[in-house]
Formats: sequence, structure tokens, C-alpha cells
Amino acid sequence: MSYDLAVPFEATVRWIKKETRDTATYALKINARDIAKAYAFQPGQFNMLCVPGIGEAPISISSAPSDHEILHTVRVAGDVTTHLSRLSPGDVIGMRGPFGNSWPLEEVEDRDLLIIAGGLGIAPLRSVIRHILSEGRSKKSSACPLPGRKFILYGAKTPKDIVFRDEFPRYKDTFQVWLTVDKADPEETWKGEVGLIPALMKHVSFNPLKSIVFMCGPEVMMHILAKDLTARGIPAEKIFISMERNMNCGMGFCGHCLFGPVFVCKDGPIFRLSQIAEFWDIREI
Amino acid sequence: MSTVIVAKEDLGRIFENLKAAFRVIGPVLEGDVVVLGELDDLARMPSGRRDRQGPGMYRLGDVTDSKIFSFSIGPDSFKRFLHPPLREEYTFKKSKKRLQIQAIPPSGHDMRTAFFGMRACDLAALKLLDKVFLKGPVQDNHYALLRQNAFIVAVPCVRPGDNCFCSSMHTGPDVRDGYDLSLTELDGFFVVETGSAEGKALLDGVPARPAGPDEEAQKAATLDRCRELMKKSINVRALPRVIDNNLDHPRWADIAARCLGCGNCTQVCPTCFCTTGYDHIPLSCLSRKTSERCGSRRRAWDSCFSINFARVHGGNFRPSRRARFRQWMAHKLAYWIHQFGTPGCVGCGRCITWCPVGIDLTQELEALSATRTAP
Repeated sequence: MSYDLAVPFEATVRWIKKETRDTATYALKINARDIAKAYAFQPGQFNMLCVPGIGEAPISISSAPSDHEILHTVRVAGDVTTHLSRLSPGDVIGMRGPFGNSWPLEEVEDRDLLIIAGGLGIAPLRSVIRHILSEGRSKKSSACPLPGRKFILYGAKTPKDIVFRDEFPRYKDTFQVWLTVDKADPEETWKGEVGLIPALMKHVSFNPLKSIVFMCGPEVMMHILAKDLTARGIPAEKIFISMERNMNCGMGFCGHCLFGPVFVCKDGPIFRLSQIAEFWDIREI
Repeated sequence: MSTVIVAKEDLGRIFENLKAAFRVIGPVLEGDVVVLGELDDLARMPSGRRDRQGPGMYRLGDVTDSKIFSFSIGPDSFKRFLHPPLREEYTFKKSKKRLQIQAIPPSGHDMRTAFFGMRACDLAALKLLDKVFLKGPVQDNHYALLRQNAFIVAVPCVRPGDNCFCSSMHTGPDVRDGYDLSLTELDGFFVVETGSAEGKALLDGVPARPAGPDEEAQKAATLDRCRELMKKSINVRALPRVIDNNLDHPRWADIAARCLGCGNCTQVCPTCFCTTGYDHIPLSCLSRKTSERCGSRRRAWDSCFSINFARVHGGNFRPSRRARFRQWMAHKLAYWIHQFGTPGCVGCGRCITWCPVGIDLTQELEALSATRTAP
């Protein structure tokens, strides 16, 4: 069965978990059985969440395909996300999707994998982290599907702004996890790093020519890191960046998300640095 | 498929056949401008009148010409009919625990529509929109429904409009394919080519004789002359390089100082397809309970010149007019090539005519190609 991607389907909020003061995770269940069955997504894709009468917002899926639930981790920013924050379990919203491409797991092979996230940029990466964990579990008997070293480098504004803070310890068996904050809260006893993500690089040792990067976060952060990582010798072909633009239709028909010659909604949101490097630096592109 | 000659006075017979099978959209007058509208009588066409166009200028003259298709293109194109300025996508009705959504098919989708007198540039634009809306992994259902009911009667231009440059874009003035019927108007007769079985059927009962080599040669010579008369051109071989390499050219700031940011160019352009979707709630749908709402989802033409076109929460990716103009022109002439394999410009010149300050795309491109001087 296929369904119309231009028309939302009904989804019920099953539970809501507050992550930080302004961010929460929403578990959604697609109500129509045939659509729920046909709906399939890959790590890195996004949905349009529709609050009828208010509008739609493109939101990354923060769960993995194997999780059997569709999670969205949303920060209150505009009209739609403000209304999402007023929902309670049992309420219904509309949803369209999934849209966009996914993290290129097939290119990881035996490379060292650096997962780099800033702020809420962790949401689409949580999907791939959990996907890798579940792949590891399901193939316990044979060799690990991704034998290279695996790192998670995550930066947030303050310790209170760390999204999925309770989950990072669980990732430590598979990933080397490094967290940093721009500013430690005086009242909290933050023992981790303070500073920007490039400052974490001193802790991680990887083979640049045999590394691959999945990155999502504020564009300034990704700009700085893209320069830093290429300077360390990681080829631009192996640096993948998840971009944000004003996605309105999700299918490449409305033109809002044009980013130079690419449509972020259908050609992205994940791009190879080498694909966008030529125009990424141009102001107001 | 086949080429026949139909006398000028027998065009009415073709038109009657057309009218019997289709709703006909053709050139009509509105406030001394040639636009497209429902055409039920050939006599309603502004035949014999010629237009003068310039940057930011359009004037329709008196009847001076013996040709039926004496006028060139106005601001309207088929785009308004196949990709309407406003459409309703679905209705919604929401209560606390239930959301009902009903998709709405486009109005007029069950009606066969013939476009009478479509010029080569618009036919090329139609093929481009087909690429955008039908050839990707996902189809635009509204466009697909309207498009499949479209019937094209093309009319190659025998004389160019003053702002035309289709010849340099390789999109005209001749039409090669994609039409059902093509009517080339020569002196006293039409060279009629059929592009489909349905087009051929329209010639039933119309006095016609096979075209001879003389008439074919006359048609070719007339179209060649039309090419020669075209005043404007674009060096299409320099695309997309000229744009890609000059995205920080000082000329963009110079254009921005003249551009009003009105977006006229994007509205008259037959290939500009950008839209914005929004929820529409009529007053009758308002309820005291905030959890109850009903309304519809609408999608309306938008423009990359709109100030909030590239806005996301916390910022606008293109706050300056310089960037917004650049976005339009770069998309048209360069990005489109990367995305769809051909430029998004068909050389119709509408953006030049209908720009209130007369910004001329062909001249701006030339300025961008010229040797750079320090800003």
C-alpha cells in the first residue's frame, strides 16, 4: 500500500518525556492500520508534524527503525512546536512522511565513525546511534558489523541543556562518549568538559584517512568543525552533514528549502561536505 | 505525425471541433492586455492587434495586422491553470481525540482542457514543470490530475515579441514535440501538424490537403526569420558557470538597489513553481473549545522575493534583497541545470516586460559575465 505524502495521517501521542526545560520527546502512533504497516523510515529522515489550524513543522525522527516507535524530540521554537508542547498523551496530531535521505551507513564499513552533535542536533543522530546498537545486538554471533572505532562527541549550552542525558551511559559499551558544555552551571557539579566541541578532539584518536563523520547541529558549529576535521585530514567526501532549512512541502515542490543548487528536503537533509563545500561559505546562499 | 495545409478561413472548423470536446483556454483581452481565459468564440481573440513590449513596458496597438495570431505573449501562461495560484489540498476537522482529514482533488480535474495557441516558450515551460512535478520520486498529485487532462494546440511564433529570446535558449520559436496539434500561420493558410491521434481527430471534416515542399520551405524560412528578428539573447553555453562562479559578484548589489522585491517576475514566469502551504480556518469553524478546530490546508504561489521565504525559527537565511534576487536568477539559470538538467528559463521575456523597474535578465547576465571590476 502506498499513501499520499501530501496529506497528513492521524497520529496519537502515546507518551511525552521532558528532556530539558524547553525540549521534549513525543512518541507517536499512526492510527490507520494500513498506513502504519506501510510506513517505514531510515535513520536521518524527518516527518512533517501537523497541528491542524496552526501549521506544520519538519521534525527529525529520533528513534531507530528497530525501536518500533516513532519518536520526535522537539524544542519549543515557533508556533507549531509551541502547540506541540501543550499536548498530552492521547491527543491527536497529523503527520506526513517520512521525507529526506538517511545517514549513509553503507559507507561506514571498517572506518572509524565520529558522530558529532550540537544541541538538539543529537535528535537525528540518536536514530543512527540506536540503529547501530540494535544491529550489534542482533548480530552478536558473527563479527561486529562496524568494526572501526566509534565516537560520540556532543556539545550543549549548559549541563541542563543536554538532551538524552540519561542515555549516554548506555552508549558507552559501543561508543566512546565525550560530552562538553559551553558553560557549566554554577549550582551543578559538572565534572565533564567545558568548551566547544573542537576542544574534545584531543581525547579522540582516529585514523583520519579511514574515518567517517556524521554531524548535526547549529550551522556555525558545523562550519567550524568541517574546517577542523578536514584540516585533521578527514576527506570532505567522508564528512556528512545534516542541514536545516525551511521545509514546507517535503517533496521538492515548494522551493522553500533550496540551499544553493540542492533541495534540502529531497536531496538532503544529509549532504556530503564535498557536495556543498563550494557554496556553503557564500553568505545568504 | 503528418503535415497538412488548412486555409485561414477554415480555422473556425478546427476550433468548433475543439470546443465540442474540450473547455478551451485561449488568448482573450482584459484591460487591453492579452491574457488567457475561457475562449468560446474565435472572434473574441484579439486578432490583428500587435503588442509592443520593452523592459517594464507593454502596449497593445490597434488592429493593423491581417494575421489571426498577430500578438505575442502576455503576462499569463498555462501555469495558472495547471499549477493554480491557490489550491485546497485537504480539509481537516479536529476534536480532542480525533482528527479527520479529507483530501480534495483539484477543481476542474474532471474536465478536459485545451490550451489554444500555446507558444513554443510555454510548451518548453510545460515540459519543465512536468520534470519538477511528475518526474521525481514523488508526484504532485494535483498537477498530475490537471496535466493528464490537458490538450495542447501549439502556435509557433512567426514574429518575435520585443523581449523574446527563446531562440538562444533553444526552446523556440518552432515547436518540436509535446503538442497535440500545431498551427503555423503563414500568409492565408496554416501549416498544421498533428502530434497525437487525438490531435488528428480534430481535423475530421476540416478541408485540408497534404503540405507540399514549397509550403514546408516557406514555414522553415518564416521561423528562421523570426529567429533573426529576436533582439535579445543569452549565451546558454556559459551556463551554469557564469552564475556559479559569480555568486559574490558586486553586480548583485547593484541589481538589488533597483529591484523593488515585488516578485512580479516570479508570478509571470511560466516555470517559477514555488508555493507556501498554510492552514486556513474560516470564521464559521471557530469553536469556544481550543482543542476543536476545522478548516483546510491551502497552497498558494509564493516567491523567493518574499521576505520570509527562507525564514526558520531564529533566523532568516536570505535577509537581503541582494540575496533574494540572486536566489531567483541563480535558480533559474544555474541551479535548475544541476537539478533538472536544463535551465529553468525558456526565454519568454515576461520577467523583463512585467518588471516595474525594467530589470532585464539578459543584460544582468551579460554584466555578470563581463570582466569583474573591484566593488
